[in-house]
Amino acid sequence: MLPDQLRQHLQKVISEAEYPREKAIEVMYEIQKHFGYMSDAAMQEAARLLTMAPVELEELATFYDFIFREPVGKYVIQICDSAMCWLDGYESILEHLCARLNIRLGETTSDGLFTLLPACCIGYCDRSPAMLINRRVYGRLTAEKIDRILDRLRSLAESVQTDQATMS
Amino acid sequence: MSVQVLFQNRRPDRIATLDEYRRSGGYTALSGILRDKSRRDVIQRVTEANLLGRGGAGFPAGKKWSLVAEDAPFPRYIVVNSDEMEPGTFKDRVLIHTDPHTIIEGIIITGYAVSAQKAFVFVRPSYETSAVILEQEVEAARQAGYLGKHILGSDFSFEIVVHRSGGRYICGEGTAILNAIMGKRPNPMKPPPYPTVKGLWGQPTVVNNIETLAFVPHIIRNGADWFKNLAATENGAGTKLYCISGKVRQPGCIELPIGTRLSEIIQDHCGGMLDGSQFKACLPGGASTRYLTPEHYDVPMDFDSLKAIGHRLGTAAIMVFDHKTCLVGVTLNLIQFFSRESCGWCTPCREGLPYIQDLLWRIENGEGREEYIPRLETMAKHMWNAYCALAPGAASPVESLLTFFEDEVREHISQRKCPFR
Amino acid sequence: MPRLTIDDIEIEVPHGTKVIDAAERLGIMIPRFCYHRGLGSVGACRMCAVKFLQGPFKGLQMSCMIDAQDGMVISTTDAEALDFRRHVIEWLMLNHPHDCPVCDEGGHCLLQDMTVSGGHGMRRFSGEKRTYRDQYLGELVQHEMNRCIHCYRCVRFYREFAGYRDLGALQIAQKVYFGRLADGPLESPFAGNLVDLCPTGVYTDKPARFRARRWDLERGPSLCIHCSLGCNTVAGARYREVLRQEARLNEEVNGYFICDLGRYGFAYAGHPERPRSPRIGSQAVGWQEAVAVACDRLARLGPRSIACLSSARASVETLGTLKYLSKRVGSDHFVCFYDAAVKFKMGEIVSKLDGRTAVSLRDIEKADLLIGVGADPINAAPMLALAMRQAQRAGAKVVMMDPRPLFLPCDFEHLSVSPELFDVCLSALVKSTFDRERVGKHGEAAVTLYDRMLSCDPLDASVQARLEPLIAVVEGCRRPIIICGSDIAPASSVSFAADVALLMGEVKDQSGVFYVLPGANAYGAALFDAANGSSFESVVQEIEDGAIKALIVAESDPFRYVADRDRLQRALNKLELLLVLDYLPSETVRKAHIFLPTRAIFETRSSFINQEGRLQVAEKIHSPGTPIWQVSNKGHPPRLYGTGICGGEPRAAWRVLQQIAHTLVHSQNEISENDPWPVIGGECAVLARHHQHNGPLHGLRIIPQTSTAAFFDGDLDLQPKQPMDGHLTLLPVVSTFATEELASYSEIIQRVIGSPCAYLHSDDAERCGLLDCDRIRIAVDDGFLEIDLTVSDKMARGFLILPRHSRFEWQKLHCFAQGLPVEKIGNCTP
Ligand SMILES: Cc1cc2nc3c(=O)[nH]c(=O)nc-3n(C[C@H](O)[C@H](O)[C@H](O)COP(=O)(O)O)c2cc1C
Ligand code: SF4
Ligand code: FES
Repeated sequence: MLPDQLRQHLQKVISEAEYPREKAIEVMYEIQKHFGYMSDAAMQEAARLLTMAPVELEELATFYDFIFREPVGKYVIQICDSAMCWLDGYESILEHLCARLNIRLGETTSDGLFTLLPACCIGYCDRSPAMLINRRVYGRLTAEKIDRILDRLRSLAESVQTDQATMS
Repeated sequence: MSVQVLFQNRRPDRIATLDEYRRSGGYTALSGILRDKSRRDVIQRVTEANLLGRGGAGFPAGKKWSLVAEDAPFPRYIVVNSDEMEPGTFKDRVLIHTDPHTIIEGIIITGYAVSAQKAFVFVRPSYETSAVILEQEVEAARQAGYLGKHILGSDFSFEIVVHRSGGRYICGEGTAILNAIMGKRPNPMKPPPYPTVKGLWGQPTVVNNIETLAFVPHIIRNGADWFKNLAATENGAGTKLYCISGKVRQPGCIELPIGTRLSEIIQDHCGGMLDGSQFKACLPGGASTRYLTPEHYDVPMDFDSLKAIGHRLGTAAIMVFDHKTCLVGVTLNLIQFFSRESCGWCTPCREGLPYIQDLLWRIENGEGREEYIPRLETMAKHMWNAYCALAPGAASPVESLLTFFEDEVREHISQRKCPFR
Repeated sequence: MPRLTIDDIEIEVPHGTKVIDAAERLGIMIPRFCYHRGLGSVGACRMCAVKFLQGPFKGLQMSCMIDAQDGMVISTTDAEALDFRRHVIEWLMLNHPHDCPVCDEGGHCLLQDMTVSGGHGMRRFSGEKRTYRDQYLGELVQHEMNRCIHCYRCVRFYREFAGYRDLGALQIAQKVYFGRLADGPLESPFAGNLVDLCPTGVYTDKPARFRARRWDLERGPSLCIHCSLGCNTVAGARYREVLRQEARLNEEVNGYFICDLGRYGFAYAGHPERPRSPRIGSQAVGWQEAVAVACDRLARLGPRSIACLSSARASVETLGTLKYLSKRVGSDHFVCFYDAAVKFKMGEIVSKLDGRTAVSLRDIEKADLLIGVGADPINAAPMLALAMRQAQRAGAKVVMMDPRPLFLPCDFEHLSVSPELFDVCLSALVKSTFDRERVGKHGEAAVTLYDRMLSCDPLDASVQARLEPLIAVVEGCRRPIIICGSDIAPASSVSFAADVALLMGEVKDQSGVFYVLPGANAYGAALFDAANGSSFESVVQEIEDGAIKALIVAESDPFRYVADRDRLQRALNKLELLLVLDYLPSETVRKAHIFLPTRAIFETRSSFINQEGRLQVAEKIHSPGTPIWQVSNKGHPPRLYGTGICGGEPRAAWRVLQQIAHTLVHSQNEISENDPWPVIGGECAVLARHHQHNGPLHGLRIIPQTSTAAFFDGDLDLQPKQPMDGHLTLLPVVSTFATEELASYSEIIQRVIGSPCAYLHSDDAERCGLLDCDRIRIAVDDGFLEIDLTVSDKMARGFLILPRHSRFEWQKLHCFAQGLPVEKIGNCTP
């Protein structure tokens, strides 16, 4: 099910390691870059490339925070809920995000753009409250700042879509 | 400003380039040892410098390296721990974004010191930019001849690869990290065997924090005494990256002589407490340390001084709380972190932490009972019998909450609500 | 040996003993969940915490993680330790469902025991419980994840110990989940051990689920008789049938585990069609009448016109008394093997297994080199594969010579050669390890054999290249064991394997030969059948000739094994009397003129001798009788009343045989009626020595210390025949669940066996224009046989390998014994 180009890329990534398993996370990240998440079929194929039993890969996929075994939105928002962000207004930031996106924590917007997930301390305590969107950090969050970010991402997604529409 | 070692090339807006690092003396330590120092010389100097591990446990780096026996099998590996998922801690990130080559040179020298072939720099996913920086600069170092086959014409060959984590706190634990790299479930593994004897794929492996290794070139270049004299205290050695967050005016990561007093760090280097805030408590070294209180305000922030008063320096991530902060709430939040991040291997941690979390939640939300206090106390104490150090770390804020702020806990119970809300 | 003090009692234990085991030796059972002696310690559950007062460790420590050392002083009752352990129990109970009344683990649940003994009677935790979704894990094991206490025993066994890779630990923290990637049957034929290993009821015995409470079972020590290893079990019966079997610890044999065939194969004993009444023709009659008529008819026949047939699944008791009977009636024919070649090999094996050459499964685990000669452990003796894996985990090298596409749950070097090359390969492997002088110690014959080994021709280049590096391994090893099959391995190899083992013993620390035999009591059968020239083939011949007029068949079904069934059928039709004693609804039973129902292993005390010559006893578990659900139309309680037990007529075969013998020769009183052993001892001197007052001793090897049989008496087959052009050699072989006779009557096993399938080398397949997964059709005399094809390049060329399957009439292929012309194979893939 993997596109040839991606498969070849993965094979190259794996061949760089002494032991294929070493690249398990990286392979899953690469697949997620492409599909957003690890589908069952992707798990099977990744496991084969890594010479792992599928359940051995599942053991890792379900352990880690940044591997998604269910479909996620184009933008995965991971909002830090650990001590310093919590101290600095995590709750109201979360409330605002939920209201703006009209979803609850753990859900994806109906347009498939945003998924909202909790994250433990993301290491930006000096810029709390903070969140990651597709692993890029946004700190010192305020309601206005969040609005700006979401609007920008929305219009970005729209322009990509219209681009694609005009191209086809 | 005091002497800056790791941050001497710090720029407000960008990382230091390879050339900038070289201009400040970078890579001369490496070329020097390749010219005329044996691996034993390197270990000896680092041991003399009393460089203590910056990852939290404060284990002497030189001593750890010497545990890799002369006749230990090959290949040997270095694991550079930059997982940094301890809440409050972000020094590794700042360090990578400041002067990556001091890290890279440190790793190479460490590789030389234990005759390793390869280093894995283990980076957490929320530090993707750090991973990219490291990859770029490792490549730059390779281009410059500092990495690869026959480094600088010597017979020492060495590789550094950046290994991306899937993201879990336990991966930072010194043995779990090995499983993580090997593509296994990152459960910790109780020694023996020690990683220095049997680590990655059963081969000798040295695990060090990234900050620890970043000091190495400077120690080689300037000597052990120089390093020891950097400290603010008699027993300390070197400088330390402190990350301060919370209720201070200027949170951030700063390099100070190790052993700088807490009061001085907050007053002089962070602009003091926020307006209208009074210092109530801080966690001195990340989420798994014990609360310090106003009575400890002047404590020198180094390993020994904190140990002497029954506390731990940990990662030196100082999380500052003011008089308006509910420490039951903070502790509850920390325990929620720990119970979520428990690897699920041993019972106290996997089941006990959620229990403690439940009790704290009840107290914080007005459902607390008097009997919860002794129960919390006992359970926290029992966390010390868990398999690895995660659960004892988790117990630390709980235990110190009950030691220093029992009245506040009782107030929650008697008022049937959080007094701060 | 370290001396330490536990709870004020001193004890000395061997080096490497864990504190938890040292305490157990004193009778102090320290609580545990994750620790299991078979799996080792991992320190996960923290249940075994005790207080270390003096010695190299101090304070609360896990007793499963620390080796006993000199000077340790330990308290298991220290207040802090007690309090900690009490908390561990409380934590484990946070999420555990309170479904004990309907839990099949109830009554023997470790968590239940700990909860009670730890005094945790009241729930203090008021949070919510975690819930999981269960998975479908196949027909044998039921999943109930909510009961999990995360001791990790299941994955440790399944993956590390047994080497299968479809069960894992998923998720993290409190959500850790043990299961598969998706619903589906567990792939390991050892999966049933999860039922025994799980300290609570996450994995329970599915066929037995909800059928009995543990404390209501009639339980007792039994044996698995589905292969020659003789694994020890505990059988549990309720309402006149065995409901489940568990592994029973035997350090020398199966250790802590058994395979799924042994665990679930028992259902033949409760088969709904099991014949339970004596019968003359198709008429059910009483015992007295049946025996009287049988005796009467036998008496009318002259001596020499009676033949006796039993099998390798019959107990020592059955075999011994049948032998006794055969002598009493003056029979020339007492036969236990259907195939003369197998019988010959068995003779060799029994004569060459002695204190120097025989090894146990435990010895296999300790070996550092295992050389397989025509043995397929997973299919012929599954627990052997597990033992081999343990050896390999400890560093042993495994080399297998076999034409089959072998699978083993461990790494191994596979030399996929034809059986004719076994002698050559084995010679090439080992000859450089010996020198003539030391071989000379074993006499002239040994030297002759050694010279033959040296003279063997070089093998073809590809095999030679594979062998080359292995030769050095053989030279360097200290504890080699040869694992030798008895079906496809030629007689010369079977005999040679023991010779090599004996010679190895000269130059190595330890060595031996481990034979895989064709049946649970093949060794016993060979003991009785040994010095006896006749074979079943000759019996059939004499029936055809009219010399034999009566055949007494005790617990044997030639129809399953004999290739030419038509001939057998014709021969049996000629008989004046076919007297059959059995507990299976077999074809032979259906053809019996007089039938006498016998008891299955669970219904009478019986003994079996396993492949290393170890005599083991299975106790009676319950009295015979039709299982209640069968007579009550699944209702309960039954609505059928009568005197006596419905279906309770079967008698122990030895009693009936003894009775017939005594009736025929009128010598009732000379021998006890309640003990078969005087009779058995009379028939077999070796066994007579092992007979105690109450029957044989369980677990003793009956082999001689030094065999008087001639080693080195065989010749090596060093000139492999050229295969016939355009022909494939047919190789009917064993398959774990599908072949074994008893299991083919086990409804549970029938539910889990796959469909029949044949194997062909990819080169041969290409030659025949066949692809993997094709359905092939083989033309036989009276039509076609169809079977699915698996193409493999991990097998020998020139063979069509046919795992015998109860749903495939491989016997019909006997006409191709000399080779199957490839044009007889067609493709009928839809
Ligand atoms: C749960 C847990 C998490 C840890 N996380 C980290 C980490 O992210 N980075 C780190 O350097 N050390 C971490 N440690 C400490 C390591 O176990 C180890 O002591 C350290 O990496 C050794 O390096 P050092 O001697 O240079 O400090 C952690 C320890 C525990 C118990
Ligand atoms: S204390 Fe136990 S469960 Fe927790 S992280 Fe360590 S090993 Fe895992
Ligand atoms: S039995 Fe020792 S920790 Fe589980």
